[in-house]
Amino acid sequence: MESLIQLEQALGNIDKLTNNIEKVIRGKRMQIQFILTALLAKGHILMEDNPGTGKTVMAKTLAQSISGIQSKGSTNFKRIQFTPDLLPMDLIGSHIFDDIKKEFIFKKGPLFCNVLLADEINRASPKVQSALLECMAENQITMGETTYPLEKLFFTIATQNPIEMEGTYPLPAAQLDRFFLKIYFGYVDEVTEMDIYRNYLGIQDNLNHIQQVLSMDEILFLQEETEKVSIHEEIVVAVKNIVRDTRKHPDIILGASTRSGITFLKCLKAFALVNGRTFVTEDDVQNLTPAVIDHRLIYRSKEAKQKALASILNKELDRLSKLKIGK
Amino acid sequence: MSIGRVHSWKKLVAQLVLLAVPTAILMFYLLQNVNATEALLQNDWFNQGVYFSTAMAGALVFYSFRFRVITTLPILVIILYLLYRFSPALAVGEFDGLTIQVKVEIFGILVTAGWLAGTGFARWRFYTIFWALLLLGIEIYAVSRSSNITASALITGFAPILAYAFYIIYMAELIRNMSKDEKYFSWFVLKRVFGFFVMIAVLLLGLYYFFQKDFKAIEKEYGGQGSYQEKGNSESMTKNNKDGSISNKDQTKLTGSLSKDQRLVFVAKLDSYFPDGKTPNPLYFTAYYFTKFDTMTQTFERDPAMPDNDLFTPDPSKIPLYFAKTDSSVIKNTHASVGRKVISADVYKVFMSPDDYVAPSTSFFCQPISVPNEYKSQYRSAYRAKMYVSELNSAYFIYNPAGNKQIEDFQKARFDVLRTVPNFTALDRKFYDYYTFMPKNHEYDRIRELAAQIGTTAKTPADKMLAIRSYFLSKDDYGQPLFKYSDNPGIPGLPSANKLTYFLFENRKGYCAYFAGATLFLLRAMGIPSRVAVGYLTVDRSSKNPGWYWFYEKQAHAWVQAYFPGYGWIDFDTTVPSTDTQESPQPDQTPPLNMRQAYFVADGTVTDIDTVTKKMEMDAAKIIFHDKDYDSKTTQHIKTDVSLATVSSDTGAVPLSYIKKGMHVTAASYSESLKNLTATDNDSMPSVLAKLPKVVPIDEIKVIEPESQAQKKKNAEQKEGKPVDWMAVLWTALIIIGGVIILLFASPWLIMQYLAAAARANKAEKKKASDTYTAAMFYLNQLGYFRTNLGPQQYARMIDSQFATGFEKFSNVYQKLKYSNASLTESEKQLVNEFYTPFIRQVRGQVPFKTRVSRFLNIYNTIHFFTQPKIS
Repeated sequence: MESLIQLEQALGNIDKLTNNIEKVIRGKRMQIQFILTALLAKGHILMEDNPGTGKTVMAKTLAQSISGIQSKGSTNFKRIQFTPDLLPMDLIGSHIFDDIKKEFIFKKGPLFCNVLLADEINRASPKVQSALLECMAENQITMGETTYPLEKLFFTIATQNPIEMEGTYPLPAAQLDRFFLKIYFGYVDEVTEMDIYRNYLGIQDNLNHIQQVLSMDEILFLQEETEKVSIHEEIVVAVKNIVRDTRKHPDIILGASTRSGITFLKCLKAFALVNGRTFVTEDDVQNLTPAVIDHRLIYRSKEAKQKALASILNKELDRLSKLKIGK
Repeated sequence: MSIGRVHSWKKLVAQLVLLAVPTAILMFYLLQNVNATEALLQNDWFNQGVYFSTAMAGALVFYSFRFRVITTLPILVIILYLLYRFSPALAVGEFDGLTIQVKVEIFGILVTAGWLAGTGFARWRFYTIFWALLLLGIEIYAVSRSSNITASALITGFAPILAYAFYIIYMAELIRNMSKDEKYFSWFVLKRVFGFFVMIAVLLLGLYYFFQKDFKAIEKEYGGQGSYQEKGNSESMTKNNKDGSISNKDQTKLTGSLSKDQRLVFVAKLDSYFPDGKTPNPLYFTAYYFTKFDTMTQTFERDPAMPDNDLFTPDPSKIPLYFAKTDSSVIKNTHASVGRKVISADVYKVFMSPDDYVAPSTSFFCQPISVPNEYKSQYRSAYRAKMYVSELNSAYFIYNPAGNKQIEDFQKARFDVLRTVPNFTALDRKFYDYYTFMPKNHEYDRIRELAAQIGTTAKTPADKMLAIRSYFLSKDDYGQPLFKYSDNPGIPGLPSANKLTYFLFENRKGYCAYFAGATLFLLRAMGIPSRVAVGYLTVDRSSKNPGWYWFYEKQAHAWVQAYFPGYGWIDFDTTVPSTDTQESPQPDQTPPLNMRQAYFVADGTVTDIDTVTKKMEMDAAKIIFHDKDYDSKTTQHIKTDVSLATVSSDTGAVPLSYIKKGMHVTAASYSESLKNLTATDNDSMPSVLAKLPKVVPIDEIKVIEPESQAQKKKNAEQKEGKPVDWMAVLWTALIIIGGVIILLFASPWLIMQYLAAAARANKAEKKKASDTYTAAMFYLNQLGYFRTNLGPQQYARMIDSQFATGFEKFSNVYQKLKYSNASLTESEKQLVNEFYTPFIRQVRGQVPFKTRVSRFLNIYNTIHFFTQPKIS
């Protein structure tokens, strides 16, 4: 009974958070859901799109919606603008000499935060990229002999411009694997866009007046709750099939790894919860497959990118839709 | 414009090898065929084939690149036209110019056709179907031009095209559908090609195996070669039984030729004389009546349901020796009372089957009699028949030995009698309609016209009959007989043409069945009830033994009987005498005389037989004593002495040791010692037996085969000779094919009905929801709303936006049921239970009926629903 109440509370919290973000980011419900999915699955998210589609605002809004541990001020939100001349130290922090104490003390970098916005991650040099991604994977930073743990709630929202744009260092597939989800932000539809223009000044205002609807504890609690979402055996089979099919597909050079399968399951649970359910459905599989799997694959050609995963997914959806229950 | 490749080289090679090469081979073959009939082509098929094939291969390679058909094809045509236009300039002389122009024309057409074929294979999906149909059309044209329509010509003409059509359609689809990135591409193709050929081979062999007999029958009919060579393509009036005996066939088919043998079938003594008492009046011996004509197979057939059946068909081999079988209903059914008399005939069988029975018309009595010992090697068995014959009947009905005044007078007198019958109004309607039935179509209308023409001056039915006779005997403008007798009249050019009209109006040559058939329809067209009779022609050859006639196999005959109220069925033979063939003399032999009187005959089962002391004991239920029948309810034990007895069975003489305990035998005694014993009217079977000696001397024993064994034999024969009813085969095939097609197109609807019933049924929520969902999905899919690439929710939203149903809600509940253990709320339960019917109604209301019908006939949608999508 207690768990039911907790669940209801969790679902309510998610709703609050979603609605809160939606006040600022309009017409992007799906993207918001994906970001929350990554957050609840204790993962990180990569957003790719052209500049000016609202990626940064999105990250900011999320950070401001969550209140810090001390229940005063918002979550520790840091933003790093990645540039080609950025160094790993600029991220992690460095030992500096303290004149008073006469010793080197560790000056923490921006990574020691709750929500990190790594803007235009593909403009930084590979060295910096790997430094960040290592931290994301390990959740800790080792400097010299000392290991510094990151915050308990550490959520990275990375953005990147499309690879074709000049001055970018494309992320290697192995590193893309660290991101649970990769989503495309996309332009808003005509009506929404018009809406945004009408009160374009208001957006900044909205951002400033955004309420802190959830506490960090509540987020951590939600992350725990995510674990409890039930996942049907057939859905697990579907995940397995999709992952394995990507390895067999002739148009895919590098298929999905087992780790991606596990990530997929985590994301499915989170996504179900974000959608107000305590069980995973076909819809979750259908919605998440491109976001979770696509960026982990290396395709043979551009055309293949369009249809290979879609056809794999379609086959699996067909199988699921014809499953008989109640026998 | 950048020219990129459309196909992979793998697909191109597959197309060249699997599509182009077979097409080229077929084209060579076709061109060879067409060249044979078309002089214009100048028998240059090899070069023509090369033009076509090269153009086809060229087009295939060319269009595997990204060239546009619309622009490139006209360029080709223009080049060819220019070549054609200016080609005469290259030649020297006018004649050469024309020849070259024709050649260039052919070249141009073939190159264009080849190019189009290649383009089709490369680019157009449905081209193969069109192409196969075109080739079939060409072949039909080529076949129709050739004069030689035989089964083998048809098969060699059409089989390759049909096989090719199946092959090319299948193969083109296969190549089109497969992924060029398939790792084991050639293995993939090879596997399927092999599978296709195995399937075709199994199908063809299966067909051949099941219809082997029919194929051979066709071959036989249309003069094919093969193992049936011995009999050629001819029809015989008789059939050979398994035991080597001969029977009349119980159907007669009109065929190209008749084969006749010279074997002696039976010998008969007929007690029929003209009123002077010594001039024999021979009568035709009838076996069956054919009252039906199958227009499809051109076959005369027996009809067990003929009205007033007056055919007496005893089985002499089943009747105990000297015991008689009679059927008085036959006499009643003739409805003839005027000028009738009872006469008898003794028939001694030689090659005739033991169970066959022939006798002049309206026989009603059959009594197996014994063959005298000295003739046992010659005659297998014998019977005496009694007939209720018309005094007007005679073999001399039409053709008479010239100058025999007595016979001429008889004929004249007879027609005078028949002329007294003015019409058939007194006849029973059903009877009249049955025997004057004629198929109604153009062919038979011609016969009707001819009949009207022949019978214009004739007043009475008898005169009409004579007019028909005269017609068949009439001479043409050159003084030659109009109709000729021929055992090999040939068949009309078209297999399905009516042989009767062919005989009557064109060929005018035929054997007895043709004359009988034609006469039958002429009579029926004139409104005279008639039927075909088959049996044996009776020829009076010898004056040595008056009343004895010999029947050879070639005397098997078909003629017509016409019905005259009061006088009954009268034989009417219009077959003209054969002028070409010289009849080889068939000398009559010594008749089996010395008939002995059987004083005592016993019929029963053998209880004991001693072949050493030659004593036999039997239990008899009936006996004959001095021509009187006695029987008793209980069997009587009789001891016999068989030391002098001759034993025979259906197949002829057998040794005494053939008799075994339990056999059914008839024992007869001609012993003089019994001659003086007499019985009174008061005697019964036991009292007669008491008068006999303790051990009765027996002279003749006839073994009667058990029924079951005989039945088996009969069945086996029937099985063997059962005619193929082509119409029935055709109808069955059509019905089966039609049924399959209907079933195929009805299958979406049937599946829907099944699913809907499952969805409506009351059951547990989970099952109910699942069935409802499946039914809804199937229905929507069938209506053309595919789920492809959509998740359940997206799909449901799409449907809802289209039809404004609550499908999304239901879909969500269904997902919940499917993937979680949570129980449903009351409203959700209600939704599950009440979703289906309103949903379907809502959707149905928004799709027009016509659209729904057309969508439900589309089985591709159904296939789409049930096949798992392929990963591409």
